[in-house]
Amino acid sequence: MGWIILKKKRNLQALLFAIPALIILGTFVYFPLIRNIIYSFQDFTLSSTTKEWVGLDNYRTLLSDKTILICLKNNILYALISIVIQVGFGLVLAAVLEDVAFHKFAPFLRSVYFIPTVISMTVVCLLFEFVYNPQMGLLNSFLELIGLDELTAVWLGSKKTAMYAVIAVSQWQSTGYVTMLFIVAIQKIPRDLYEAAEVDGASKIKRFFYITVPQVKQMFFVTMILTVVGAFTVFNEPYILTGGGPGKATMVLSLHMYQTGFVKNNMGYASTIAMLIFVITAILSSVQFFTYGTEKEDR
Amino acid sequence: MKLKKIASLSLAAVMALSLTACGGGASEAPAENKTETKAEGGAAAPAEGGEVVINFFHRWPNDPKNSMFKELIQQYMDENPNVTINMDCILNDQYKEKIRMVVSTDEVPDIFSSWSGTFAQEMIASGNVSELNEMYEADTDWSSAIAQASVDGFTFDGKIYAAPWSQDGKVFYYNKKIFAENNLEVPKTWNEFISVLDALKAAGYETPVVEGLADNWAILHYLGTMNQRMVDPAVLTKDYDPATGEFTDPAYTEVLKKWQQLTSYMGETCVAIDHETARNTYFATGEAPIMYLQFAEIPMLEKAIPEDFEYGFFNFPAFEEGKGDANALTGAPEGFMISNKAKNPEECQKFLKWLVSKNGGEALTTKCGDISSVAGAVDESNALPAQLEAMDIIKSASTLAPWFDNACDASVYTVYGQGAQAIATGDETPESVMEQVQEAAASLH
Repeated sequence: MGWIILKKKRNLQALLFAIPALIILGTFVYFPLIRNIIYSFQDFTLSSTTKEWVGLDNYRTLLSDKTILICLKNNILYALISIVIQVGFGLVLAAVLEDVAFHKFAPFLRSVYFIPTVISMTVVCLLFEFVYNPQMGLLNSFLELIGLDELTAVWLGSKKTAMYAVIAVSQWQSTGYVTMLFIVAIQKIPRDLYEAAEVDGASKIKRFFYITVPQVKQMFFVTMILTVVGAFTVFNEPYILTGGGPGKATMVLSLHMYQTGFVKNNMGYASTIAMLIFVITAILSSVQFFTYGTEKEDR
Repeated sequence: MKLKKIASLSLAAVMALSLTACGGGASEAPAENKTETKAEGGAAAPAEGGEVVINFFHRWPNDPKNSMFKELIQQYMDENPNVTINMDCILNDQYKEKIRMVVSTDEVPDIFSSWSGTFAQEMIASGNVSELNEMYEADTDWSSAIAQASVDGFTFDGKIYAAPWSQDGKVFYYNKKIFAENNLEVPKTWNEFISVLDALKAAGYETPVVEGLADNWAILHYLGTMNQRMVDPAVLTKDYDPATGEFTDPAYTEVLKKWQQLTSYMGETCVAIDHETARNTYFATGEAPIMYLQFAEIPMLEKAIPEDFEYGFFNFPAFEEGKGDANALTGAPEGFMISNKAKNPEECQKFLKWLVSKNGGEALTTKCGDISSVAGAVDESNALPAQLEAMDIIKSASTLAPWFDNACDASVYTVYGQGAQAIATGDETPESVMEQVQEAAASLH
């Protein structure tokens, strides 16, 4: 009898400990989310005191909104490039830094690659505005210096280059962070695996593909979610660098949502766009979860 | 186990999303807290004879205006020891967002700045803006000194809702030296203007006219004027009204074609630079002889130009086929509104009248270079000759046409601005942009 009471008491205690977290999550995450779902069926402005129920009107607008397609295209491009550079290149960089050959310089290089991550995005964007400046920008000046004059461009002012220029800023900033995560993962790999492989005569490249890559799978999963969700919710870079321009060339979902809500003053439809972003990120996260997560259970 | 993971995952997604959703608002949060505490302070203060607290909210956090307001407020508080004025400010676009959010709530500041036109109407629609006719009628000594054209911008159905503070206008500035060297006359019509641009191009100026097209508002200033000059005023009034706007008149497409023609003179880099860069690195250096600038920019320009630089003004040229008033000047007053929730309306009015007077007007023009709406605030003794000329131009204009982004709904002008930018880069045509504008206008009714 006694242990049942004890167990109940323990459960109650556990619940008590969880309550603060639940309250915070509830007020700041779930409550706004539910309110947002309701808002997405309403029509209202920032200063309006009443909200008009419009049913599925906002969702109908969403389906016929051509800007959404431009946004989706840009966000997907963002995600693809981010995966290749941040996750792919980040892993290679981590493996190189953890290699014995770089043992001496690794701590220094780690800091060098990590520094961009701790700089505020706003500052980074302002820095890159100087880099991309068509009149006296570093990038164009550099290209001219090495004789590649024909490659100079109005980076942020042309439809062809603007989106790539914006994406490049994020890669510069975030690759160091992902690399750091991979370094932590690589350091956890038991050394004897490498030693055994070395004894068997496996080359460095083989060791990378057959030991490092499978062993950091869990971290792959984490970084993929981080970069993909990051790519679909990106806001600062296009907002500061281009404001979505030229035209709508660098428009992304969250910027479109912001402009709809706060500039065009159509909060109802902005909430609907927010729902779209939520659904996309939730789906992508769960797809990645199911493909990667199950393998861990097997092991 | 799995469920837990799913839960934590969707949580992560939710958090990522809510983070973005907060992105725009995060910077405003501290400001909001500030106003709240201030509002509480106001409530706690004893109403009679004792401390009076006025919450004052404006849109100029940058100098010289911010320090000018600080000085003026300090001066007022020294003169009236029982009054405490809490000043709060955030810049332009953020100001628009913030004031839209608080104006319909109890946290509305006692005195706040507003643009004329649709923005003022939006503020008034919240029902929290006090009508000021009595204030104007009770003190004609004060009200008669204020420029009537500016008051008109805040008058709706015969009711005055603000005290105008500054007035502004937008004209082409031209480099007098370059014009003289090439024997050029100030153009009066569009075709004359184009031939001036051609002549300058032939004389070796790669960008005869310049603009920072990365700034959407700069584009909108052009389009607002061009629409006003080209389109039949009755059609324009109908289309700028969100309830009836259609934008089907062929004149609108014609305007965008002229815009396309104009941007072809601005050079390739113009889409990647902002207005300020264009002014300081092209116009002020003499690289571009013509630029469309506001009168409020005179002091900034004065700082950037070399000593022997001489500039003059000419109003936007008339379109030969235009149906609008070619003597109108694009420009608008800005003013201060009083909330009808203010705890001490008399004290607010007293402060506002003190601020919008020769005293404040002189500070505005001499320290910040804006043109005050108070008559006689400046003369030869304390203003630049260019500023006096600007005042004359504002006075002689037949009417003041509001900025495009104060004249019509944001859904329409945002599409206009983005489309016009894409026309400049060659990615859209005037026809395709007009289709999008028509769609945006139709979605409003």
